[in-house]
Amino acid sequence: MSIINYVNKEIQFKIVYYGPALCGKTTNLTYIHSQVAEAHKGELVSLATAADRTLFFDFLPLNAVVVKGFKTKFQLYTVPGQVIYNATRQLVLRSVDGIVFVADSQWDKMEENIESFKNLEENLQRQGSSMEQVPYVLQYNKRDLPNPAPVHYLDFILNNRKVRVPSFVAVATTGQGVFATLNAISRLLLQKFARENEAAAAKQQARTAAGSQATTALSGIAAAAARRG
Amino acid sequence: MHAMPILTIEAAESLLGVLEDFLDSSEASFALIIERGGAILGQHGEIPPSIDPTTVAALAAGSFAATKELAHRIGESEFSALHQQGKERQIFMSAVNEDTILVTVFGARTTLGLVRFYSVRAVKRIASILEHARQQSQIPIDLGDTVLDNACEVFDERDGRRR
Repeated sequence: MSIINYVNKEIQFKIVYYGPALCGKTTNLTYIHSQVAEAHKGELVSLATAADRTLFFDFLPLNAVVVKGFKTKFQLYTVPGQVIYNATRQLVLRSVDGIVFVADSQWDKMEENIESFKNLEENLQRQGSSMEQVPYVLQYNKRDLPNPAPVHYLDFILNNRKVRVPSFVAVATTGQGVFATLNAISRLLLQKFARENEAAAAKQQARTAAGSQATTALSGIAAAAARRG
Repeated sequence: MHAMPILTIEAAESLLGVLEDFLDSSEASFALIIERGGAILGQHGEIPPSIDPTTVAALAAGSFAATKELAHRIGESEFSALHQQGKERQIFMSAVNEDTILVTVFGARTTLGLVRFYSVRAVKRIASILEHARQQSQIPIDLGDTVLDNACEVFDERDGRRR
């Protein structure tokens, strides 16, 4: 969940890039890191094996818009895609605010895409959450490789829930679609945060109104008692 | 897992007060209170410019979570504290509650024993402040219509600047 700090006037969001092995999650973060100005990014940290496969996670902190005096900070994580690292994926998913599911567009990766998506659903359920609660977007990566599956087919297998989510075609190695994806998930998170705060404000207003009504009623009773006395 | 409390100015200042006392007594360099997902709830002390506390928090949360899994494998629910020793600096991490960890970085000015000793009291005080904050009602922030505008780009790729 987002963390609000009133002293530093900061709102922090955690975004996790999820998907099957070698689908381009780390490449997304590497491209983002190469494009964002120094002042607005931290170090890109990769906990990887000697063969450059993600072992634990990649991490990239970003500073974004300032809204009403509050700095918004986005912390981007990737999970290791390899099937054997499921315990690690569960750890990285902890307190997640938003998810980018990166799918590999190659025909022979469809089964891995579906398995990874199911695995994401299961891991969210394990921590008492669900795809309905956590905003997410889809990225269909590796569109530059020969003979990718059509977008409508990827939508058919991955974007077939009641509410369809935004999906983006991408070539993460060149940056195509990378920022469109990041901006989409960031906007979804800010919108959700704004909605929740609006609801909380309405609730608080209702409580205050109920409190003042009760006070008025009590004053009325006291006045009536005084008149009787 | 509990919902994390909203850090009101009062709660955040109380946390800073605890960290200040803790660092004064233990003579540690700096301390972070972090949520187990990796976000920072409070920080205090002399943090060298070369150290990014955000990254330290993310890695510390990962490290603590990994050792918790390790603890499960040997029949423990979790290791309540974790210590890493380097040549010049050491890190001591202790569980505050189910959602929070206290991360302390210290050098040659003090010892692990002192840091561990004073951290026990600090952890109790932090847990109590967070519990109190959790019981408070959420203070809404009005972000206005800016973020609801679909045309708004949060990150700008073209010139590498944020908007």
